[in-house]
Amino acid sequence: MPNPYIPILTSVKNIVSENEVNDIKTLELVFKKEEDYKGFNYIPGQFAEISLIGKGECPIGIASSPTEEGSIKFTIKKMGTVTTGFHNCDLGDIVGVRGPLGNGWPIEEMKGKNIVIIGGGFAFSTLRSLVIYLLDKRYRKNYKDITVIYGNRDSGEVLYRDILEEWEKRDDIKVVLTIDREEEGWTREVGFVAAIVKKVAPSPNNAMAVVCGPPIMIRTAVAELVNLGWKDEQILNSLEMRMKCGIGKCGRCNIGNKFVCIDGPVFSLAELKKLPNEY
Amino acid sequence: MKNEIGKLYIELGEEYNFFAPIKEKGNLVFKKILNPDDIILDYFNSKVPPKEILFPKTEVLFEYKTDGKEVTEIIERKDLEEKNIIFGIRPCDAHAFVLMENFFAFGDYQDEIFLKKRENSIIIGVGCNNPKSTCFCTSVEGHPFQKDDMDIFLVDLGEKYLVEAISEKGKNLMNKMPWLKNATKKDVQKAAELSKQAEESIVTKLDLKDIEKVLDPNFDHPIWREVSEICIGCGTCSFLCPTCTCFDVIDDNDQYNNRGRRIRIWDTCQFCLYSLHTSGHNPRDSCIERCRNRILHKFCYYPENYNTLGCVGCGRCIQLCPVNNDLRSIIEKIKKIDIKKEEKISA
Amino acid sequence: MVMIMGIEAENKEIENSMRETARKLLKEKEVDVIIGYTKGTVPLSSAPIMITKEEDVDKLIWNNLCYVNLAKYLVPKIPQLIDPEKGDLKVGIVSKGCVGRALIHLSVEKQIDLENIKMIGIPCNGIINRKRIEKEIGEKEILEFFTSENDIIVKGKGFEQKFSYDEYINELCKVCKVKAPPTLAELAETCVGECKEISSVDDDFEDLIEFESKSSEEKWEYIKDSLETCTKCYACREACPMCYCNLCFVDQNKPIWFGKTTDLSDIIVFHLVRSMHLAGRCVACGACSSVCPVGIDLNLITRKLEKIVKERFNFTSGIDPKKTPPMMDFRMDDAEEFMLEED
Repeated sequence: MPNPYIPILTSVKNIVSENEVNDIKTLELVFKKEEDYKGFNYIPGQFAEISLIGKGECPIGIASSPTEEGSIKFTIKKMGTVTTGFHNCDLGDIVGVRGPLGNGWPIEEMKGKNIVIIGGGFAFSTLRSLVIYLLDKRYRKNYKDITVIYGNRDSGEVLYRDILEEWEKRDDIKVVLTIDREEEGWTREVGFVAAIVKKVAPSPNNAMAVVCGPPIMIRTAVAELVNLGWKDEQILNSLEMRMKCGIGKCGRCNIGNKFVCIDGPVFSLAELKKLPNEY
Repeated sequence: MKNEIGKLYIELGEEYNFFAPIKEKGNLVFKKILNPDDIILDYFNSKVPPKEILFPKTEVLFEYKTDGKEVTEIIERKDLEEKNIIFGIRPCDAHAFVLMENFFAFGDYQDEIFLKKRENSIIIGVGCNNPKSTCFCTSVEGHPFQKDDMDIFLVDLGEKYLVEAISEKGKNLMNKMPWLKNATKKDVQKAAELSKQAEESIVTKLDLKDIEKVLDPNFDHPIWREVSEICIGCGTCSFLCPTCTCFDVIDDNDQYNNRGRRIRIWDTCQFCLYSLHTSGHNPRDSCIERCRNRILHKFCYYPENYNTLGCVGCGRCIQLCPVNNDLRSIIEKIKKIDIKKEEKISA
Repeated sequence: MVMIMGIEAENKEIENSMRETARKLLKEKEVDVIIGYTKGTVPLSSAPIMITKEEDVDKLIWNNLCYVNLAKYLVPKIPQLIDPEKGDLKVGIVSKGCVGRALIHLSVEKQIDLENIKMIGIPCNGIINRKRIEKEIGEKEILEFFTSENDIIVKGKGFEQKFSYDEYINELCKVCKVKAPPTLAELAETCVGECKEISSVDDDFEDLIEFESKSSEEKWEYIKDSLETCTKCYACREACPMCYCNLCFVDQNKPIWFGKTTDLSDIIVFHLVRSMHLAGRCVACGACSSVCPVGIDLNLITRKLEKIVKERFNFTSGIDPKKTPPMMDFRMDDAEEFMLEED
């Protein structure tokens, strides 16, 4: 039994600034040892504890898809000490990784279904992973219609623009981008995510929805889905909680008798309703 | 064998880290001893529980070296294979080790650091002849003479100890004590009497049967406001709880010497920072939620997950709470919720 | 006075008059809630209590074990003192001298408004040093405690031990000059019960002579030795009425100022920096030491700082709501000798 607190060493291969204010960056990491990469088998929706050794560790959702081979990606917002450290990283810097952790999106359960992906703001990273996975030519046939609704405050905050534009050009996925207020040059939707959900009106028939974003967006978007006849079992959330160990030992991420790090971070609305309202 | 504890140490002190109760600054503590004369045998229990031996306040997860900027080497713990004897602990604290082991081994991830040390430890516990007024082990499926959780169990017969090997580990160790004399029938009888006396002398009795069923539906009950009223939000109850295992992980970087260590330190759900998100949101924002989490963890979540209570009845939190927020009164209030509910149903 | 009446009788008298005052305040709706002390469930303890109904007033007690500084519950205000409809509740607070001092100092630091508070003043005759008694009793369980004449008597299975009251009260209580809350000239309404006119405090700090006569090495040894057992449970900080920061320096992580480990160096840094933050603010209630689960005595350090502040600035905290504390004040003619001293 290996020491579960020892990180695998990777190095920074590429850094992309994701937004205009430059407080969100995507770090692409490559493993120092080939066998470590081979052992890092993940599915979309999982996270990892990534660390700058000497500064500390924090849990970040994996933004890359397992189908993007050779490296893993993390999209990091500058918030505290460790995330600021990541923002100051240079190419080649060493990053510790422990993972993959958590349950991830239920890609097996989603098979044969229409998939609706609703995201807001910064919380799009594991949704990026999911969409890339679903669109991979090996797996696309397993899933029916894919709809992505992604909202931001303004156009400067939209993450992963290049890839979103690629998706928009494809005919096997429907992409709806929105920003909160009108802006010069913005030709897509305008309005809050919930309003767009209402407008797009995805059908609940043989479908699953994945909702990620700030609490207020989740609440309003979910309310619209429920209005459209969606059941709690069909709606999935990925929760954020303060975490340290990521493996169910440090204690802090509990909601009732569940730990977000090992029992989640993905929960269906039905599961969440059974838990105390303490998150 | 009372005066032979020294012999035991001389015999085993080389091979094992020998932890035993000693006095330090007026407090009884479990420490690695260097002189068997320091061992205190007549004591109630320590304030800081012996969990500290296997789960210290500050513990290295790994160490590392750097070249001034980047990490060059990760150094794993090498001391986990060291052998320990944990001598003189009470049945409640021995049971706490079992709960800790359950927890650290639970699920897909095993806490190798704790588990290896646990595996390499031999517990020589002593029956509790004089439980304190705040002890309630018999209310949490324990007993002052519960020996199942130990490797060797001692009963203090006054002049001598009755020594019983419980586990295989204990039996092997007892083979290294050839000086032990066979116990007489009378000795065994006396031990049984002491056990009965100890059990009868426990005055704190809490009705904890099915308490999780009362707690589970009452998450939003006004009682939590009431029981948290005087809590000042310190960590005494959980730091001194033998079953509390929460920790924080930090990097202790020594930049002047190009090295450092990633460590875990005790943390508690009673501190506001414990669950504070970086965004500023805190799901347990006040003492109300934090007190509730502690009680629910021990008496609701733990039974739901492991089918046993997360409390061993040592009474430390009762004895040592700075504002005397007595767990017994809290439990009594919780039990009353149940009664009220039944009244409503029958009315 | 103490000798003649005995502590017990004196306490009883204080208790009766405190209950009367409390009853009256609740009856006349002068306050919504009274914060006081009630009987502890373990020997050598007491528990804070919130009373909202007249019929519960008899739960209030006063004895020499009322060690918690109740001002703690006002800053930051605990949720129970805010009514979802009425807003901030009017609070009556049982105030021995050091609780009164804490309230006054908190008002100076603009944390509370004394006009909204009723201080139920009581003349405290000193808090029992429970940690010292526990240590001396050793591995025996105290089951009963009472005071008789001028003695503290503790009893347990097969033992009874007497302690002289004068000797076994907190060291800070032995030198306390503010036994009842100071009277507030301009806020006469605030103080109900017994308060005392205090214009200035004379203190010779004789209790520090022994510590001061130690060499630097000996002082260092003393500090190391006394803090070694700290578990960093922060009971001292949480019980301190002056530790009300939203985020304590030791918890800050942007940037991390101090190590969070329980290595001795980090423990010492925490306690010494906390003491420095209490210079000119500590009200000498001794709650930090009374609540420490492992029995660390922090009083000597805070007492030494009290002396320095007194000598350099002639300031005693929590006496005069009009006087600006030295740490909140700057004057061009400040001596500032501490910046120049070489010793």
